[in-house]
Amino acid sequence: MMNKFIITTLLFRIFAFACLSLSVQAAPWNHLTGEQLEEQLAEKFAQGKYSNKGADSCLMCHKKNATVMALFDGVHGNISQPDSPMAGLQCEACHGPLGKHNKGGKEPMIAFGKDSKLDAASQNSTCLGCHNDPKQMAWHSSSHNLDEVACADCHQIHTAKDPVMNKLTVNDTCTNCHAEEKAAMNKRSSHPMQWNQMTCIDCHNPHGSMGESSLNQLTVNDTCYSCHAEKRGPFLWEHAPVTENCVNCHNPHGSVNKSMLNSRTPQLCQQCHMDDGHASRVVSQPGQDAFGGGNSCLNCHSQIHGSNHPAGSKLQR
Amino acid sequence: MKYPLNLITLALISASTSVIAADFSVNKANTTRVNTDKYQCKRCADTSGYRGNVELGAVYNDSDDIHSANAFNSEDGSNAVLNADVQYRAKEGYQAKAQAINLGLANSSAHLEAGKVGSYQAELDYRQLSQYQHGDAKSNLWYADGTLTSSAAVQTQELSLKRQQIGMGLSAQQQFGEQDYQVFARYSQEDKTGYKASSFVSPRPTNFGLPVDAKTDKLSSGLSISGQNWLTSLNYQYSEYDNQIDSLSLTHLDDVYAPAPDNSAYQISLAGQYLLNRTAISTQLSQGRMIQDAAVIQTTGTPIKNWDGQVDTTDGKLAITSMLNNRLRVSGSVNYAKRDNKSSSWEFAQFESDGISGAFKQNVLIDTEKLAYKINASYRINSDYRLQAGFDHKALERSYSDREQTNESTVWTKLNIKSIANSKFKLKASFSQRDGSQYQASSLTSSIENPLLRKFYLADRDRTAFEAKFNHAPADWINVNLTGRYAEDDYSDTTLGLTSSEDYSYNLNIDMQFAEKLSGYAFAGQQWIASKQNGSQSFSAADWSVNVDDEFINLGAGMDYSGLMQDKLSLGLDYLFANSNSDKQVVYTTTQPQGDYYSYRHSAELYAKYKVSEQLGVKLGYQYERYYDTDNAQVDVDAINGLTTFGKLNHNYNAHQVMLSFSYQLR
Repeated sequence: MMNKFIITTLLFRIFAFACLSLSVQAAPWNHLTGEQLEEQLAEKFAQGKYSNKGADSCLMCHKKNATVMALFDGVHGNISQPDSPMAGLQCEACHGPLGKHNKGGKEPMIAFGKDSKLDAASQNSTCLGCHNDPKQMAWHSSSHNLDEVACADCHQIHTAKDPVMNKLTVNDTCTNCHAEEKAAMNKRSSHPMQWNQMTCIDCHNPHGSMGESSLNQLTVNDTCYSCHAEKRGPFLWEHAPVTENCVNCHNPHGSVNKSMLNSRTPQLCQQCHMDDGHASRVVSQPGQDAFGGGNSCLNCHSQIHGSNHPAGSKLQR
Repeated sequence: MKYPLNLITLALISASTSVIAADFSVNKANTTRVNTDKYQCKRCADTSGYRGNVELGAVYNDSDDIHSANAFNSEDGSNAVLNADVQYRAKEGYQAKAQAINLGLANSSAHLEAGKVGSYQAELDYRQLSQYQHGDAKSNLWYADGTLTSSAAVQTQELSLKRQQIGMGLSAQQQFGEQDYQVFARYSQEDKTGYKASSFVSPRPTNFGLPVDAKTDKLSSGLSISGQNWLTSLNYQYSEYDNQIDSLSLTHLDDVYAPAPDNSAYQISLAGQYLLNRTAISTQLSQGRMIQDAAVIQTTGTPIKNWDGQVDTTDGKLAITSMLNNRLRVSGSVNYAKRDNKSSSWEFAQFESDGISGAFKQNVLIDTEKLAYKINASYRINSDYRLQAGFDHKALERSYSDREQTNESTVWTKLNIKSIANSKFKLKASFSQRDGSQYQASSLTSSIENPLLRKFYLADRDRTAFEAKFNHAPADWINVNLTGRYAEDDYSDTTLGLTSSEDYSYNLNIDMQFAEKLSGYAFAGQQWIASKQNGSQSFSAADWSVNVDDEFINLGAGMDYSGLMQDKLSLGLDYLFANSNSDKQVVYTTTQPQGDYYSYRHSAELYAKYKVSEQLGVKLGYQYERYYDTDNAQVDVDAINGLTTFGKLNHNYNAHQVMLSFSYQLR
């Protein structure tokens, strides 16, 4: 109860802090509501008043901005790439037609990122116009799309290398929002995510997938087997909850228990096994006998993921 | 009930008057007045040529526990390390990239790719992963050439695993008319070696280091064709696992232990997507097969030499999502998955008899079949408020199980608010209920189980969950994220087994940009998981129970300052503390605490980076790790009569690492 009280108090204080403080947005069209902005931009987009000189028109004012110029370091600024925006409408391919924006900079352009008032779906329509390929196939029904995550919330294109495309920094991007998973990396047992030796995208596809939980493979078990092929079998003697779902017993994001187990042995085993006199016995102290000491149940039943020994029905050999 | 009705009415009115959401995709652009031939891009930057950086360094570790190599990425002593990230770009569209990450250390990778952007590309990969468990596991069973040799005196061995992967891939892309064709093929091979913890009954349980020496080959390939509003793809993947260790024997008894058998699996998938205005329809159908026909160890009475193990899988999904207007999105999906075990079933002699099945037992072929569907709607009340709601249902059937069918239904709702004082709130609540067919012990698998037992993954369960996320930027220099979660599982019909579980947590993250060159962060999080289960020694009603209270604490802070010595020197500091604790109490006549089971880690890193020139940089770093873990179940090798353990496999160490590196910026 004390813990719940602490959480409630913390939440209340943060909320009060939030209500007392305000910040300032910089864009000249910041006075518009999101809907007004979208309406104006849609009208501009339909009129199609593009500049006469493409990027040269934009860079007359924006050339001194290092972030703007960093576009040319990446693929989106590559003029020699036929399907790059720079090979077509250039800056206006993504930011929309110039219109009268160059006359004082007060007319809105399509902007991306956390400061943009444009809703995620409208922002993303720009990216999806080109990125309609199998890697993004499941995007439309993905949880990120349904939660209105904008492409620019994770991706940067005005840079030589998008941090989310770098295996040393992709975990940082994911854990900006997925705080619980960030913390779980530091539990007693976890996959080596905390040192970036594994990444979130080794298992998950942030653009969604046609499988479960945005996994790269169709099922949880297929995903686990892609690195743990020795557990794939099929085995002569199978362990039913293992074949059904690895996460019945394991939490792949981390656990306070060893081996990423949801619970410790022997109790984890005793949540399913309660026969007469063997598995049902109370293990009152962990280090007192072979049922609780060492590897507990796994002292004898070590082939818990399945056995291929003809006499291995009890997963012992 | 008046309020929800009013809300729905308001939503419907708003929906009917709103316009279709904006679509700014370039292929919808009005380009009637554009002449891109006039575009010269004189002000654009020329980025052709080489760019990137190369870093060469050395690390020195001081540690008396090999477990520290997980955090330090190298064992005790000195190592050289190479990092590189180099790109070459030609004006004609040709480009090449080379990346090396921590080459020379325990976990490292390298990647090479070259090709013409948008046309074709070849790539080559190398990756090494290492995992260190214990450096001083004790056992009197030793592996050599397929035999476990026992010795009177225990010897020490290292439990660690190493994976070495090489991979190569080719991909090509070509536009034919309105369609874009893409094709790719990728092959990789992994060698996994080392020892991992296992145990064997000979005739008493003995913990020993199970040798691992296996090779896994993977092949994947695919073809996709896409038009402006559609795409289709055909993919194939194959994996083959080859264990170099076929069986383990004792010096006086052959083939007593069967390591993981060789196996292979393939999967072929056909997928497609069609976009109709703001409606997206996606579908995929996959067929797979897992085969295991390795030689079966021959014991007296074994009826086969090779088993024809074969499991066929069928997976399908259809997903539709549609933005009816710029406020309302509706989505739905149907998912089907079948695991059909087509292996043969035989009777095998068992070394142990249980009085019911006797000394012979028939292998059971487990099939599963899942059908799940989801429907949900998302409604934007205005630009600041958005409401989502959904219903998910999953029906799972399995053969030879205590409960052959389970049904799980979930209702959930989310509310997103981003109007209050430059803040965002996300609230989520869900309730799910699992029930199913009659629960009864299967005659083939568990006729000897207590009939009051309800296995936790099959049992009736009510799950209630809440989640609140709060993001706030009180000023331009600070951003605060706070997440709180609560979930309760109630196994409503369980007398024996897991009866309840409660999980609640918070995570607070603060990012700060104090000045242009001074940034910092801090985070704190705690999680509590409490669970209860009952057992029965008397093969009747519950006569013992266990309460488990898990607690996790995670704290961290760091800063980076890059404004010293005319911006040439930058300093950084990172600190992390993590504590995992599990308290268990067994209640049987009296309540007995179960002793310590916890781990904690302090990790601190200091670094200084000095820019000698525009190209040359030097970095000096120091890392410290204090790690401790304990488990009351770990006892000395022969402390328990009849059991030989690895000894007390706990860790308790202080480790230090110093790193010096020089980096060169190519441009």
